[in-house]
Amino acid sequence: MSDTFSYFLMAWLDPQLLLLTAVGTLAGIYVGAIPGLSVTMAVSILISFTFSWDINNALALMVGIYVGGVYGGSRTAILLNIPGAPSAVTTAFDGYPLAQRGEAGRAIGLSTVMSVIGGLLGTLVLAGTAPYLADMALEFAPRDYFLIAVLGLLLVSTLSGKSLARGIFSVALGGIIGLVGMDTVTAQPRLTLGSMELLGGIHYVVVMIGLFGAAEAFYQLHNLNQVPIKQKVDKIIPPFKMVLKYLPLSMRTSIIGVVVGALPGTGGDIASLFAYDHAKRTVKNPSSPFGEGAYEGLVAPETANNAAVGGAYVPMLTLGMPGDAVTAVIIGALVIHGLNPGPMLMIETPHIFWFTVGNLALANLFLLLFGLTGIRVFSKVVEVPKALMIPLILVLCVVGTYSINSNMMEVYWMLGFGIFGYWLKVFGFQMGPIILGVILGPLLDETYRQAMSSVGDDAGQFLLALLANPLSLVLTLVIVLVLLSQTPLKPWVRRRLSRQ
Amino acid sequence: MFKPILAPIALVVGTLALAGNAHADYPERNIQATIQWGAGGATDNVARSLTPHVEDILDTTLVLTNRPGGTGVIGMNHVMRQRPDGYNLLYGAENPQLYPLMGLADFTYDDMHAVNIIGQGLVVIAAPAESPFDSFAELLEHAQENPGELRMGGTGAGGLPSTVLAMINAVDELDVRNVTFGGDGPGITAMLGGHIDFMPLSLAAAGEQIRGGEMKGLAVVSAEELDSLQGVPPITEALPDIESFLPWGPFWGVFVHQDTPDEAKKTLTAAYEEAVANEDFQEFLQNFGAEALNLTGEEAEQYLDNWQSVTAWSMYEADADILESTPEELGIPRP
Amino acid sequence: MSQKFERVQAGEKVFDWLLLLLSVGVLIEAYRIDGIPGLNSPGSFPMGLALIMLASSLVILASHRYKQRDPKIRNARHELLVFFHQHFQLHIVVFTLFAVAYLAAIVWVSFYVSTFFFLAVMFIYFRQGRVVSSLIIAALAIATIYGLFTLVFRVYLP
Repeated sequence: MSDTFSYFLMAWLDPQLLLLTAVGTLAGIYVGAIPGLSVTMAVSILISFTFSWDINNALALMVGIYVGGVYGGSRTAILLNIPGAPSAVTTAFDGYPLAQRGEAGRAIGLSTVMSVIGGLLGTLVLAGTAPYLADMALEFAPRDYFLIAVLGLLLVSTLSGKSLARGIFSVALGGIIGLVGMDTVTAQPRLTLGSMELLGGIHYVVVMIGLFGAAEAFYQLHNLNQVPIKQKVDKIIPPFKMVLKYLPLSMRTSIIGVVVGALPGTGGDIASLFAYDHAKRTVKNPSSPFGEGAYEGLVAPETANNAAVGGAYVPMLTLGMPGDAVTAVIIGALVIHGLNPGPMLMIETPHIFWFTVGNLALANLFLLLFGLTGIRVFSKVVEVPKALMIPLILVLCVVGTYSINSNMMEVYWMLGFGIFGYWLKVFGFQMGPIILGVILGPLLDETYRQAMSSVGDDAGQFLLALLANPLSLVLTLVIVLVLLSQTPLKPWVRRRLSRQ
Repeated sequence: MFKPILAPIALVVGTLALAGNAHADYPERNIQATIQWGAGGATDNVARSLTPHVEDILDTTLVLTNRPGGTGVIGMNHVMRQRPDGYNLLYGAENPQLYPLMGLADFTYDDMHAVNIIGQGLVVIAAPAESPFDSFAELLEHAQENPGELRMGGTGAGGLPSTVLAMINAVDELDVRNVTFGGDGPGITAMLGGHIDFMPLSLAAAGEQIRGGEMKGLAVVSAEELDSLQGVPPITEALPDIESFLPWGPFWGVFVHQDTPDEAKKTLTAAYEEAVANEDFQEFLQNFGAEALNLTGEEAEQYLDNWQSVTAWSMYEADADILESTPEELGIPRP
Repeated sequence: MSQKFERVQAGEKVFDWLLLLLSVGVLIEAYRIDGIPGLNSPGSFPMGLALIMLASSLVILASHRYKQRDPKIRNARHELLVFFHQHFQLHIVVFTLFAVAYLAAIVWVSFYVSTFFFLAVMFIYFRQGRVVSSLIIAALAIATIYGLFTLVFRVYLP
């Protein structure tokens, strides 16, 4: 016990580790805020950089970057409607309208506090239940991931705004974009139009930057000479009463975040989508309608994506298996430093677990500190005249896209998606469902085919497996219930029930 | 409007470039190194732990960039299209040797210059800890009694599991359901949950799980037992005929453009030979479940040719239908 | 904002027809993967998604029957005029063309040079003059990008 405690406090008491965590968190916020610069990339650069360092120092820096980076994505989402990372896509839905109302400071303040709450809850779950949660995550068979993806598809009604037909079209289009490239099973090219560049597929961040960033730049050209909205910068730190009010919601969405994060096939992006959907379904009287600047629409995804960080560490620390792309790179770092990440990690090097837990908690406190300072300066970004902002946004999109894979072709694609996204926006299509499709399309395809192969391509066996396994059965029932609640059947069912 | 401004800039840039080309010692600026696979993968790990040693020797910076996608086609294609001045390196894995066979691209490592074949991964056929099989022979027997029942984890056509399966099928018969995952990691996760029955894996990915008792090793794809994985029998115990394909495993190497100046090739070759031989790196490789090779020049070419011929022909003999061309058409000699 | 989408916009019907065309194109591409796909083949999902696109774009087109054209728009010719007036204002066209030229230029004259020119020209154009301050802001932006991307994060820019 005393060992545990001293491992936990290691990063808190050693000035060097403290400093590295702080630097990491601060740098992470900027990495996260710039679309195209990803935490995965920053951490892998750090591997060569920290090659000769002590492993604890390297880990402290990486934890800081991870925590800061996941949070940082919300900054640009709120200020410019350009999510810095896929897990901040949902943050833009309500964050950007808030900034347009002059509440950018309040939105950033609230998202900071909520991110920290989510991050700390996620760490707590990691500390308390890691082995059990890992066992549970392993229970998820390919067919269960498939069911989760189907459940994700049903979010389309939440995301598509006024026209469901347009939403469904967008999801399918997104799915098609996500499937471009080599087939995972046979390696044959799909939808590549014969281009070798497209064999590797279209990176979903390219689509995201194009549809959100570049399209927004083009769209804003209509209001080139509009006077920018004056930002209220007095009430930045959300009052305690407000935090307390959203605490129940943030607890629920944190749980969603940590569980989805712990599943090795899904991460913060899907977690924040589920959380947003959950908020929209359960909160009856949001502060404003969802999509027009509801605080709840900000609370849900921000708690979920930061809680997912704790979740992602669960399989990594207990089994040596990555929970997402970032933990995959951190595992690589452990290998390079001569550790053996695997099921024996907790036995051979017991300090790693509690050191990481303590470090995550510490990084979240630094996040609170750095997140709440400098908001005044940041919210001034919205006040920059459009004449300067629009060209700068486009340049940022170009640099960001190029940073992903250093591929000029993807920059052209980004601009293409920007122009296409402009027209979609003009004619009442939402960007959310397209991104939903891009994220879920490959997951659906891959898991469906895994599930099918597992039962020998027998449709009957496939359906039987859905009903015969408790976990799959629960997921199937949830899908059926959600479907019933969304279709015209709902009033009919309710009438039948009330008659009885 | 731009002409008057552009002209002097072009002139300055041009002069700088000329000045740079005139007999300077290679390397005199940063080197761009492209990693063919994504961050956190085996190729990435090898590249990132080797590079600092090379930087020390060459006294320059290697800027590492991951350009994943298309089984590595994207990254390799990028390096091949850069200027052949020795400032663009490729960290690659074994896959390009099979591109023409799979119809992915019309180039292989024959079209590049191999600076160093760093090392070779070892392969183990693993099963969940609670699997009823204790050796590969038992699994083979069960599979032959119940064809098409066992679920094998794979990573898609041309991936390591499918190649191992092809080798087995070239000498015996193993009819299984092929469940495809995005890589070793997701495959292992599925195996830990008992969602697949076995999977050929790189030792780098599976070693810790086997030593930790979460999975068991049924056989190592090698002619002898491995020091790093005691107690797991070699595959030749169950399938003696497979020995003709061995030793076999995924490999990692460093490559430059074919037309790179000889001086740069020489400098790079010497630097990499020294870096791979570095004690720290050797220790890393061993830890990583890999075998150091450190092959250069003629030896490297030979290794590449041999690897290609063994793999291509075993895949052809196992299931010719999945290939785009036959090894014969491509002029790959029989092993 | 929300009121704006209730009635049909200029060019909306044409756009929705184009989406139908896109769906057909995607369907053909999906068919080319492996013909009529089986239960578990590379083409199953692309084909399915293409069919969903096709069906939903048909629904979108059908919904036009229940929509009203903007009463201010008199006929097709006028609609075209309104459409051009809305979306092809001079500064939008100029910005788009410069954006395309900028991307093309990156490969030829390096990232930093082309970005500087793009920013400077666009600033001067949008702000109708103010050359000196525009040049300074563009230079500052370039310096920030250089510091952040090239020095700190070591991203290689062309």
